[in-house]
Amino acid sequence: MEKAKVVIVDDDLDLTKALQIVLESEQYAVVTASDRAGGMEKIKSEKPDLIILDVMMSTWQDGFEMARELKQDSQSKDIPILILTAVKDRTGISFKSAAGDPVWLPVDDFLDKPVEPELLLSKVAELLSKSR
Amino acid sequence: MELNSQSTRLAKGACWMIRLRWLAIVVVVAGTYFSSNVLGISMQDFALYGIGVLLAIYNTTILLLLKHFTRGQIEPPTQAVKRIINFQMSTDLLILTVLLHYSGGIENPFVFYFIFHMIIASILLSVRESYLQVTFAVSLFGLLVLLEYIQLIPHHCLHGFVVHCLHRDGLYVFGTFFVFVTALYLVVYMASYVAVRLRRAEQAYKEANVQLQEKDRVKDEYVLRVTHDIKGHLAAIQGCLGVVVNKIVGSLNEEQSDLINRAHNRTRKVTYFIKALLRLTQMRLSNNLEMDSFSLKNTICDVVTAVETKAQSKSIALNCSIGPSVNEIFGNQLSIEEAITNLLFNAIKYTPINGTVEINAREQSNCVLVEIVDTGIGIPQGELSKVFDEFYRATNAKEVEKDGTGLGLSIVKQIIERHNGKISVDSQEGIGTKFCFTLPKTSCSKV
Repeated sequence: MEKAKVVIVDDDLDLTKALQIVLESEQYAVVTASDRAGGMEKIKSEKPDLIILDVMMSTWQDGFEMARELKQDSQSKDIPILILTAVKDRTGISFKSAAGDPVWLPVDDFLDKPVEPELLLSKVAELLSKSR
Repeated sequence: MELNSQSTRLAKGACWMIRLRWLAIVVVVAGTYFSSNVLGISMQDFALYGIGVLLAIYNTTILLLLKHFTRGQIEPPTQAVKRIINFQMSTDLLILTVLLHYSGGIENPFVFYFIFHMIIASILLSVRESYLQVTFAVSLFGLLVLLEYIQLIPHHCLHGFVVHCLHRDGLYVFGTFFVFVTALYLVVYMASYVAVRLRRAEQAYKEANVQLQEKDRVKDEYVLRVTHDIKGHLAAIQGCLGVVVNKIVGSLNEEQSDLINRAHNRTRKVTYFIKALLRLTQMRLSNNLEMDSFSLKNTICDVVTAVETKAQSKSIALNCSIGPSVNEIFGNQLSIEEAITNLLFNAIKYTPINGTVEINAREQSNCVLVEIVDTGIGIPQGELSKVFDEFYRATNAKEVEKDGTGLGLSIVKQIIERHNGKISVDSQEGIGTKFCFTLPKTSCSKV
């Protein structure tokens, strides 16, 4: 089976590097971007199987807006989105209940930062098996 | 200290006057009966009892009027309440004058009871209004004395109390009236002086309190900002260390592996602490918590299932008892789950092997009472009042578990209080601890 491709969009380059190594250790092809514009470009060109998105980039809602934009686009609307966040601490938003709300937060699942490698891999595998 | 708004303070003052008036009615009726029938003083019994009845009708009317203005309002209208107080005050002075007319006029030593009204006016009303009331009182009494003196109205002499009628005795009338007038004005001057100073002090206290709250909010914002930024860096450090610890980038020798593991563990502990601090600060800053109906019964069962493995690892018997009527409550499910999890984890953590931890929930009037009881190390009596303080850890808890944030119980307390609930703790060192909290079943209930 062709190895799954994952795009990580996060402005924290150190964390992105760690995530990339973890995913590559399980033979995923990983492409990274450090901002919203770069991320959109990579998603359009690479057509990934999964998107890992940080919520807070240049603004605290960058990730939300990008997720909405992706889910409205016919080319990317079926790609599962896993959101990485520490934003709950700043906003009090309950991701557990909001993830999956197609209007407000159109993402498939979320993980709170910091992410343990095992948890990341299991969540990625779960989302990919659902979408395939 | 509770800080009332001016309107609430005035409304309370108006109610106070009504209560005092009931007392005054009893004094008038009982005093008339006693003076007339026991002391044998000549009294206008019929008129005085009639005034007592009128006072009762008037007091009931004022009570209803006040209830009408304040019904269902957190902040009763200030002007309306002030008008009621002024009206009560003026009517009281009028009634007291009529009462005095039928009970000896200037011969009656109760004339000085006007002083009480003047003190009440000074406490409740403005300085200007207080002086208007004292002038009204002096005018009323002056008119009564004058009309009786010039015999335009009859004088009801207090035979049995005075040897002969005094209303025509010029020197006595003038002297008593002079003392009466000066006493009343002096009382208003002194009481107003004290009342104004107290009002100013209260205002300054209120302003200082607002400033303190604002400073506290700024401090919380600062803590939130700093801890959030620290958490971002910690997440990156932990992420990178996680890759090495899990040997994803290859194996290390034993010494290297030990050091990296130590660094990873310490980072996890700091991250846990920062997360707890963020959670607490975020709750302090957030004014609203999303509330909905949810099953407390299911939530408790879920938490018990989640902590079961931890209890089993220490051979601790974990018992759960939920009353048949405990089910749906109104609140934030995730927060309540977090609070119960925190308390149960604590109970398991501080209970020795083969101990018991219980969670009981039952209905209590319009609330649900939840108890978490353990046979753990307990909390020293002298430290019980501090266990909910931020960063506080009981001395014996530190011996059992070196690392701890001291924030868990503060978070629990915040959560319960946000739901208008109450939390308490009872403990005996070496025997065990019982945490109890109540939660209202519906949104409008107060505990």
